[in-house]
This record gives sequence, structure tokens and C-alpha cells, in this order.
Amino acid sequence: MASRRGYMTGFILASVLMALATFLVSSHALPPFALLLAIMACAGFAVIAQVYFLLHIDISEHNIWNTVALVAFIPLFVITIGLTWWMFSQLYLRTMPMIPGMPGMH
Amino acid sequence: MSSSETVVDPDKVRLWSEDYEGHDVISTRTFGFWMYVLSDAMLFATLFAAYGVLSYPHSYYTGPTPAQFVAPWYTFVQTMALFLSVLVYGWAMASLKDGNKSGVINGLLGALVLGILFLALDIHDVMRLVAAGITPEVSGGLSAFYCLTQVHAAHIFAGLIWIIVMLWQVARKGFTEDVVGRLISLRMFWQFQAVMWVFIYVFVYLWGYMS
Amino acid sequence: MLVHVPGPWSPLLGRLALSEIPYKNLILAPLFVLIVLVGLALVGWITKRGLWGYLWREWFTTVDHKKLGIMYIFLGLVMLFRGFIDGLMIRTQQMLAVGPGDNGIKAMGAIHGYLTPFHFGQIYSAHGLIMILLAATPLLVGLMNIIVPLQIGARDMAFPYLNALGFWITAAGAALIMISLFVGDFSHNGWFGYAPIFEMSYSPGVGVDYWIWTLELIALGTTLGSINFLATVVKMRAPGMTWGRLPVFTWSAVSANIIALTSFPCLQVALALVGADRYLGTHFFTAGFGGNLMLYTNLFWLWGHPEVYFVILPAFGMLGEIIPTFSEKPLFGYVAMVLATFAIAGVSWIVWLHHFFTMGMGPYVSTEFSVATMLVGIPTGVKVFNWAFTMYRGRISYTAAMHWALGALFLLLIGGLTGMMLSIPAINYMVHNSVFVVAHFHMMLLCIVYAVFGAVIYWWPKVFGFRLNEAWGKIMFWLFSAGTALVFIPMFMLGFMGETRRLDWPFDPHWAGLFDVQEFGIAIYVLSVVSFVVLLFVSIRDRAKERVGADAWGTSRSLEWLTDSPVPFYNFAMVPEINARDEVAWRREHGFLDIRPDHYKAIHMPNNTPVALYIGATLFLLGFALTWRIWWLSGIALLATVALMIWRSAKGDPGYVISAEEIARLDREARQKMPVDGGDTVPVGGFAGGQIMAYSREVSDQDRSHRGPKSW
Repeated sequence: MASRRGYMTGFILASVLMALATFLVSSHALPPFALLLAIMACAGFAVIAQVYFLLHIDISEHNIWNTVALVAFIPLFVITIGLTWWMFSQLYLRTMPMIPGMPGMH
Repeated sequence: MSSSETVVDPDKVRLWSEDYEGHDVISTRTFGFWMYVLSDAMLFATLFAAYGVLSYPHSYYTGPTPAQFVAPWYTFVQTMALFLSVLVYGWAMASLKDGNKSGVINGLLGALVLGILFLALDIHDVMRLVAAGITPEVSGGLSAFYCLTQVHAAHIFAGLIWIIVMLWQVARKGFTEDVVGRLISLRMFWQFQAVMWVFIYVFVYLWGYMS
Repeated sequence: MLVHVPGPWSPLLGRLALSEIPYKNLILAPLFVLIVLVGLALVGWITKRGLWGYLWREWFTTVDHKKLGIMYIFLGLVMLFRGFIDGLMIRTQQMLAVGPGDNGIKAMGAIHGYLTPFHFGQIYSAHGLIMILLAATPLLVGLMNIIVPLQIGARDMAFPYLNALGFWITAAGAALIMISLFVGDFSHNGWFGYAPIFEMSYSPGVGVDYWIWTLELIALGTTLGSINFLATVVKMRAPGMTWGRLPVFTWSAVSANIIALTSFPCLQVALALVGADRYLGTHFFTAGFGGNLMLYTNLFWLWGHPEVYFVILPAFGMLGEIIPTFSEKPLFGYVAMVLATFAIAGVSWIVWLHHFFTMGMGPYVSTEFSVATMLVGIPTGVKVFNWAFTMYRGRISYTAAMHWALGALFLLLIGGLTGMMLSIPAINYMVHNSVFVVAHFHMMLLCIVYAVFGAVIYWWPKVFGFRLNEAWGKIMFWLFSAGTALVFIPMFMLGFMGETRRLDWPFDPHWAGLFDVQEFGIAIYVLSVVSFVVLLFVSIRDRAKERVGADAWGTSRSLEWLTDSPVPFYNFAMVPEINARDEVAWRREHGFLDIRPDHYKAIHMPNNTPVALYIGATLFLLGFALTWRIWWLSGIALLATVALMIWRSAKGDPGYVISAEEIARLDREARQKMPVDGGDTVPVGGFAGGQIMAYSREVSDQDRSHRGPKSW
């Protein structure tokens, strides 16, 4: 529930992860693909921390319906973005001329 | 199933509920508002899908790409402004739990100021880009970049107005059931904007800077 | 930032000018005169009868879910009529314009048939948009609004004010598309729009802007409504109403509203991006400058496919109530039905590409979406079999409502099977954009229409206290079905013969005979509309004879049949305790059906409010001003909307309390006026929700000290 400690924990975790991501990117510390994975991991953990500590998404009886609603939506976010990305990368693959260095080529 | 097999004792059957006090108003309100928040998340997800499609090199036509104009540490300061605003709002909610009215008002004011700082930084950044001729009319990719970032900023703006309204309501009405319900809803809204910002910051600004 | 519009623009009126009013159009000008005359007559009649106060207090400011539901259904029927006229005009144009020799009726300025291509384009665009979103959706939402709280034992929806707001915002959207008839023109890009035709350079008029804002308003209204339904069913079920005892109609409402909540934001984004292209000069969907044409189609159908499941699932729920009642058996396979409903809702989220197989994503993508589309046939088949098994060995009464329900099953079969055909890309490539597709989705939409008509007949006695005339209900059914067969069987054939959609000039003379058959079919539809009017007239005339009590059909099963008919404004005098699935059937079986509570508790009710109506009005102004690019009016409308929201929030609504003694008195009176079987009294209150003022006239002195029901 609303506790100063919980909110502080969420704040610190999210801030540290965002600072880490910024540092990694601006210092070009990793090769591109690994860097992408690293910042995705930072984002993922930051969001989980925020959702748990700030938004109180847990399985307590008080919050269970909010949790159920969020869990029902998550696959839809994945589908919307994921299937769209797949569709268009396939489209570009088949209809765009091959330019060297074009990302998404496989 | 209609219980035709079970024996029903007419003296013990309950047809009308004696002790049903009605639904919990605050939890119903916050659940309803949470569903609105999730539909808002769907809105952002769709915008992200559009941004994903329009972030290939050919979407930027001959114009500049985010790698050429994103300033990561500047945007990190923006991030911290927003996160601090969310933290301070959280302190307001903790004060609400203690019934401390001035604590709530101070927390709301702090969240307001930090939120204004976030917006000011965003506007300053946009002005810098516009001055350099980097506008949404240049290319599809830039249209998507601006749309996603500024839709979030518009949400923050609406949230700031809401904070002002709540400041007035807490001061005038105190902690009525309606006011408490609204403060909880505003907390969810504000924290949700921070969650969306994490995605925008990482996948639009940082990833854009990398590409 | 702002796009320069082609054509004149003034700071005061934006793009609005006298030339935008089609006073020379031979169809629209007389229509406008007719509407003005009818409107004036209506206003005059209302004034003469002194009904403005009544309308304001009981309808325009109401937050009662039953009255809002009635208004939704009224809106839906009016728009169904307008959409039908559009369809009639399309049929007539295509019948007249067949063949290379056709040169059109010059007097009307047409090149072929009697409509210019310019006008024809607007008609089919408006037809599609109105039928799906302003006729079918409000009819379904209205029925859900009335029935769902009653089926779960609640006194109203979770957020009554939000309910009213959703209605008035939807009405604002309807007003916007209606005004596009006479001020400016509507979009001619079809109801779902094509990139880049809707860009400013190819559609320089205001039509596409009207289309954008109408859809945005409707999307907003529906999203608000879906939040309401879900919160209501999750949080406000009566004690004992566990999830396993929920009526199937409520289950279908839950799944449909989950679809609405999750998918309408996609529509809002898709249209907002079109708006950005047209207003701000962005390049989301332009041909060039990095825009992506297919992105629009993708984003639109992301919404578009879940949307069609949003409209069909409540229709399935209605069938799940009507068929058991008139088979005198419980619904077969309750758990399977509920699971199938959610399976359909879930799968509906991964099939949207089947609307644009031909756009070239390649075989892997097409395969996934094709297989997923076929999968949806499995739970649908489960439902069809379960309805059939419900009827098997039941005692079937072929009432008018049952006619419509069984007709819906037949249409579902045809629509579903043709849908399975379309799910195969190889076939889809052949018939994409032909009228085969049009016939397929009309079969599905007509399944919904049949289910709605059946549901209206089924629940009419609950809402108004008397039954509709059975004979005319059946006459209307047969006329409507004959029309359906005559219009759509030729359409399937024409699809295979190669007729494409949206043709204002079907040039192949071999098709002429089939168009004549279709025109005959539409004429029969017109007769069915007439029979509907006769049905209403005869039923209302004979309402005293067809008066019914709580259990109107004698064999109903679910909780809403426990309330009086028409339903009093507080729904249940005492909140019922639920003992079984199909509670009313259970009570009837054990002889508890006529037992009333012996003591009561005070009830807390929400007040009426005009703010929802005001916000609907300001949002209508906002949509209109944005369409015509009248910036000062847009700003004022937006500020007014926000100000009203803040004002409403500041005022709040403590509601009012009805004491237990008052409830006891009202319940006693209702019991006395309720006929046991038939009877010749006119229904109390007239319609569900009754007369709030009738109550307040009899408020006791004790209650006068409480805040009474009033608008503010």
C-alpha cells in the first residue's frame, strides 16, 4: 500500500536503471545488438519495479483485480507491437530494394 | 445448473440479502480508472507500433534521424524530473494515509512544480529542434518521433491541470470519499505516465540515439 | 505547423461558406425542407403538450441505466433507418446504372444512374459507418445497458454519470454525421478509409474531417461505456451471484466490453494520425516523405477486427437468453459457452490482417493470420451446436422472438462459412474487394440485427410492461427475411462474377438481371420497415390487453425477470440473494417466485444531471469546429468541455436516499397494480425507470428533509 519506503525503492530502482542505460548508450560501451538488449533489460526491470512498488500491482486481495486487468492487457501490447513489427519487416524484406547496412535485414 | 436434485428447505432459504451494504465505492472507482489507464496504455502501444514501422532509415527520407539530434543526458534530466515528481506525489499519498492535510498539499505542490519542470525541459528541447528545422513535416519518421513524445507531454499537461484541481479540492473539501478516490486515480495516472516515459525514453530517445 | 487548406478560409468561419450548403442538390434540398418541417411539427407538438419539462427531467438529464438504454436503442433505430435509406439509394443507383449504354439521368447531373460519383461515394461511406457504429453498436450497447445491471442484481451501473456521458458523446457523433448531409459533404473514401486518398491533396474537402471526428467521438463514447460495464460486473454483483452463476448475456457483455476497451484506442490513434496528416502536415500515411500507406490499414484493422467481434458477441449472448426461454430448457453446455465466448474474444485479437491479405506481407504472415481466422470457427461452432442442443427435446414455442433468433442462426451459418472461405488467402486473393465480401459481412451484421430484433421483442415486456403484437412481429420477420434473401443471394453470385465493391456504374450488362432482383429485395425491405411501424402502432394501441407481470413469458430463466414490469427506477426493492444459475427458473421450480420481501432497507440513488448533455453538446461543437477549421470555436469548445468536467467534479453528487418505509409503500403499490395473468391496466410508469417525479410527488415529510431527486 502507500508507503514512503515502497515509493522510494521504486524511485531509486527506476532512476538507477535509467542512468545505467543512458551511460551505456552515450559511452557506446557495447556493440549495437548487445547494447539494445542491455537497455531493453534496463527498461524491463525499471517498469517491473515501478509497476510493483508504485502501482501496487500484486496479488493481495485488495489489488487482485487491477493485477488481473494488467495481465490480460500485456499479451495485447505484445501482439500489437510484435505482430505489426513482424508484418512490416516481412513486407520490407519482400518489397524494398536491398540497401547495404539496412537494419532489419535477415 | 438449476438445483433440481438438491433438496431446498423453505425455512432456511435466503431470497433477499439482509446484510449487503452495497459495493465498495472507492475500490470500484479506482478499478474503473485503472481500466481507463490500461486503455491509455493500449493507445501508447499503438503509437509505438506506428513508431516502430516508421523508424526505418527510409522513413526519415533525406532528413535528420534521432541519432543526429537526441541529447541523452538532457533527456535524462527530464527523466529525473518526472521520477521525482512521481516520488513526491507518492509522499502526498503517504500523508493521505496519515490524514495529514498539509502533507498532501505540499506533496501535490511538489509534484506540480517538478511536472512543470519536465514540461519546460520538453518544450525547450522542441524549440531547439524546431529552430534547427527538425519538424514533424520533414518526414514520416520525424512525425512519429514527435507524435509519441508529445502525446506523452500532452498527458503530463492534462495531469498537471488535474493536480491543480485536486489542490483546490483538498484545500476546500478535505478528505471526502470523492476526493480520496480522485487522489488515488491521479496517483495511478501519474505513475503510469512515468512507466510510459521509461518506454519512450529507452526506445525512442536512447535507441534512436544508437541507430 | 498548420496545413494550408485548399480553398477559402476565413478566421471567423474557417472553411464554412454558403457554397458549402448543397441547396442546388435535387435530393438534399427537398430532404432538408422535409426534415425542417417534420422537426418544427415535432417541436410544436411537444410545446403544445407541455412536455419540455418532462423531457428534460426524465430523459435529457437522466443517469438511469434503463432510460439511457432506451435512448441508445432509439438512436440506433433512427440511424438504422438512415443507413437503410443509404442502402436503398445504393441499390437503386446500381440497378439503374447497369450497362455501357447507360447515360444517366441528366436532370440530376449524373453520368450514370441518378447519382453523381461524388454523391455516391459519400452514400456508401456513410452507409457503412452509420450501420456498424451508429446503428448496430448503440442498439447493442442500449440493450446491454438495460439488461446487464438487472441480470446481476444491481441497482444501476457502477458509474451512472459516466453512462450518461457515453450516451451523449455518441449522440454528438451521430449529430455530426447527420449535419454533414446538409453542411459540406461527407467522406467518399469508404467507411474505413484508404491511404493516401484521405490525405489533403487527394480529398481537399471537409468530408474526411467529418469522418475523423465522428469516429473519434463514437470511439470515446464506447470506451467510456466499456469501462462502466466491466466495473459494474466485477464489483456490483448481488450476493450469491458468483461468476459461475452469471447469465450468458452478461458473460457476453463482459467479453465484448473487454474487446472494446482494448481495441478502441487503436482506432483513436489511427484516426488521430490521419488528422495529424491533414491538419499538421505530418507524413504518417503520405505517399512519399517517409510515409507508410499500409501502416494506416494496419492500425485501422487492429481495431476493425476486434470491433466486429465486439458487435457479434452480445448478439450471441441474446441468442443464449432467447433460445433457452422458448425451449423451456437451460442453456446446453454453460461452461463451454462461456469459454467459447472468451476464446472468440481472444482469437479476435490475432486475425486482423485477413482484411488486407492482398497487401503483400508474404506467405508466413498470411499463414499465421489465416490459421488464426480459421480457429475462430471452432468456438463459434461450439456455440451453434450448443444452441441446437438446447432446443433438442425442449418444449419449443415459436414466438416472434424465437423466429428472429432462429433466423439469426441461419445467417450465422452462411456468414460464418463464407468467412471461412475468405480466411484462405488463395480464395481471398480472388474475391478481395468484390461484393462477395460485402455479402459475407452483411450476413454477419444481419445475424446481429436479427438477434437485436429478437431481443427487443423478448425484453420489451420487461421494459414497457406489455408484449408486442406477435402476428406483426412474425410478418415483419418473413418480409425482412425475404428481402435479405433477395438482396444477398444475388450479391454472392455477383461477387463470383467479378463485381467489385463500391461501383457507381456496374458496367457489365450480364449483371442487370441480378440487380433487378436485388432492387425487388430492397422493395420488400421497405415493406418490412412499414410492417415494423404497424407493429409498434398495433402493439401500443393494444397495450392494455397484452399487459404482463414480472415473468412476462412464463418460461424465462434469468434474474431480470424477477423485477416488476416495467422495472421501477430502483430495480430491486430489496437486493436479491442468488441461489442458483438461472435464478428465476430456480425460484419458479421451488415455488418462491411470488414471494416478496417482508422488510426493506433504505436505498441510495444518484441525482439527475444536465452536465452529460452539456458536454455532449460542447464536444459536438468541437468536432464541428475542427472539421471546418474554425479555430476560435474549437478553443472555446475544448475549454468549455474541460470547465464542465472540473465543475462537475467540484460539485460532486451526494445522491439522495429513499427510506425503507417509502420503498415498502412503492413495492406494495406496484404489487397491487401488477396483473397476475393478463389484466387490463395500463402499465405503471409507462416504461422501465418509471416516473421519478411520480415518486417525488409522494415524498413523505420525513423524506423532504433529505435531498430529493432533482436536476441541478
